[in-house]
Amino acid sequence: MAEYIKLIDLTKCTGCRGCQVACKQWNELPAEKTGFTGSLQNPMDLSYSTWCLIRYDEFDEADGMKWIMRHDACMHCDWPACVKACPSPGALVKTDSGAVVHDPNYCIGCKACIVACPFDIPRYSEHEEKIAKCTLCYNRITDGKSPACVTACPTGTLEFGPKEDMLAKAHARAEAVGGSVYPNNPKYETHVIYVVPGDVKLAALQHVNPNPKMPTTILWWKNLFKPFTLIGMGGVAGMAALHYFIKGPHRVEKKEEGGEADG
Amino acid sequence: MASSREKMVYVSTAEERIIHWMLAGSCLFALITGLGLMFHSWEIIPTMLGGYYATKWMHIFSGVVFAISLVAASIIWWEHCKFVPDDLKWVSQAGGYLWEAHDLPPCGMYNAGQKLFFWCVFAFGIIVVLSGIVMFNPLPFNVTLARWAYMLHVMGVLVIASFFVIHLYLGTVGNPGTVQIMFHGWATREYCEFHKGKWLADRESKGDASE
Ligand code: SF4
Ligand code: SF4
Repeated sequence: MAEYIKLIDLTKCTGCRGCQVACKQWNELPAEKTGFTGSLQNPMDLSYSTWCLIRYDEFDEADGMKWIMRHDACMHCDWPACVKACPSPGALVKTDSGAVVHDPNYCIGCKACIVACPFDIPRYSEHEEKIAKCTLCYNRITDGKSPACVTACPTGTLEFGPKEDMLAKAHARAEAVGGSVYPNNPKYETHVIYVVPGDVKLAALQHVNPNPKMPTTILWWKNLFKPFTLIGMGGVAGMAALHYFIKGPHRVEKKEEGGEADG
Repeated sequence: MASSREKMVYVSTAEERIIHWMLAGSCLFALITGLGLMFHSWEIIPTMLGGYYATKWMHIFSGVVFAISLVAASIIWWEHCKFVPDDLKWVSQAGGYLWEAHDLPPCGMYNAGQKLFFWCVFAFGIIVVLSGIVMFNPLPFNVTLARWAYMLHVMGVLVIASFFVIHLYLGTVGNPGTVQIMFHGWATREYCEFHKGKWLADRESKGDASE
C-alpha cells in the first residue's frame, strides 16, 4: 500500500470542529460531559473517547486578540516511539500506509506508549485498562477513502493523499504564505504534517513539541540496555562455564599445617 | 578442634533461608516475566503464563514480593555485609578464584564478593523497585522522569541479572557444599573453616560450639 500523509493547513482552519465530530461519529466514540472553562476549546484535552481535538490558542496582538485553531491528533510517526515502547505485539502496529494503528484487543494497559510518545497522544482509560488514539481511520484508508476528519473538513484545512504529493504541497503552501512546515525533523518524520502561518510561534501553542524526536531514554532503554540484559547474562554464564572447565570447582581445602592453598 | 572437624555447623536460620528463597524466587520470576514482556520474540513466556495481560500483573506482583523481600534481606544481612579492611586483600586476590592466592584472610559470614553482590542487589534493587513504581502508573509523574524510569529499570535488571548468574554459579557447582545451606541451613565444619573462618572462630570463642 502506498504511503499517505494527512496535511493540516493551519492558515485555513476556522475552528468549526467538523473533524472533531466526524471522528466521534466514525469511531463511535461517546460525547463527554464538559463545562465552560473560559476557553472556546471543548473538551480541554484529548481523552480515551476524544481522539481528535481542535485546540484554541488565544494571543493578544497590537490589533486585538487572535486565535489559532489547531487540529490535534496522532501524528502517525514513521519511526513511532509508541510502537518501540509497547510490550504487547499487535497492540500498536505501524502499517505500510503510514498509519500507526492501535488494536485494543492486544493492549494490556501498561501505559508505556503514553510515556514514550513525543506528542503526548495516547490516552488511558482506568475503566477499560487500555489506551486509545487516532488510527488515521485505517479501516477507511485501506478502502480507498480519506479519514473521516478529512472528509468532513469544509475549508480545505485537512487534506489526505500520497506522501510525496502532500509534502510538495505543504512546502509550496508554506512558501506562499511565508510560514513553515511542522514537524521538520528529518530523523523523525510523521504522516501528519502542518503548515504553520509565519507569525505563529510553535512554542507558544499549547501542547506542541517544537522539536519532536525519538526520546533518547526510550532509545537507550530499547536499543542499549534491552539487548545487554541478554549479552550480560549470557557473557557471565559463558565466563562461569569457562571457569568451571579451566579452574574447576572451588573445593574446600583439607587444612594442612600453616597453608591455605587454592583448589 | 580436630575432634569436631567432621561435625556440622548451623549457618543459616530458617528465617534467613525463607527470605533468601523469597528474594531469589521473586527476582527470578520477575526476570522471566520481564524478559517475556520486553522481547517480542519470546512470546512463549507470556503464552505459557496466560497472555500478555496476565504476565503484566504477574510481573507487578512478583515485583511487590521482591520489594518486601529486599527490605527483609537488608535487615538480616546488613551487619554481615559491612566491608572490613581484610576485604580489600580478598578482592586484590580475586578470592583465590582466578589464580593461586597465598595470602587470603579468613572471611566473616560472607566474603567480599558476596558482600559486593548484596550491596549491588540492594542498590540496584532499590532503583528497579522505585522505577517499577513509576512504570506501574507513570501518568502523575513528569514525563522526562517517567522515561528515565523505564531506562533505569532495565539498566538495574541488567546489573542484577548478570551478577545473579555469577552468584548462582558460585553458590552451586562452583563451590561444592554451599547450596545445601540454602535448603537445610547446615554446612560442614571444614566448609566453614575454609569459607567463613573468622565467623566460625568468633562464634566458637563466644562458646557457641558447633553441634
Ligand atoms: S504521535 Fe505518538 S501515538 Fe502517534 S504514532 Fe507518534 S508516537 Fe505513536
Ligand atoms: S498501553 Fe497498550 S498500546 Fe500502549 S504500550 Fe501498553 S500495551 Fe501497548
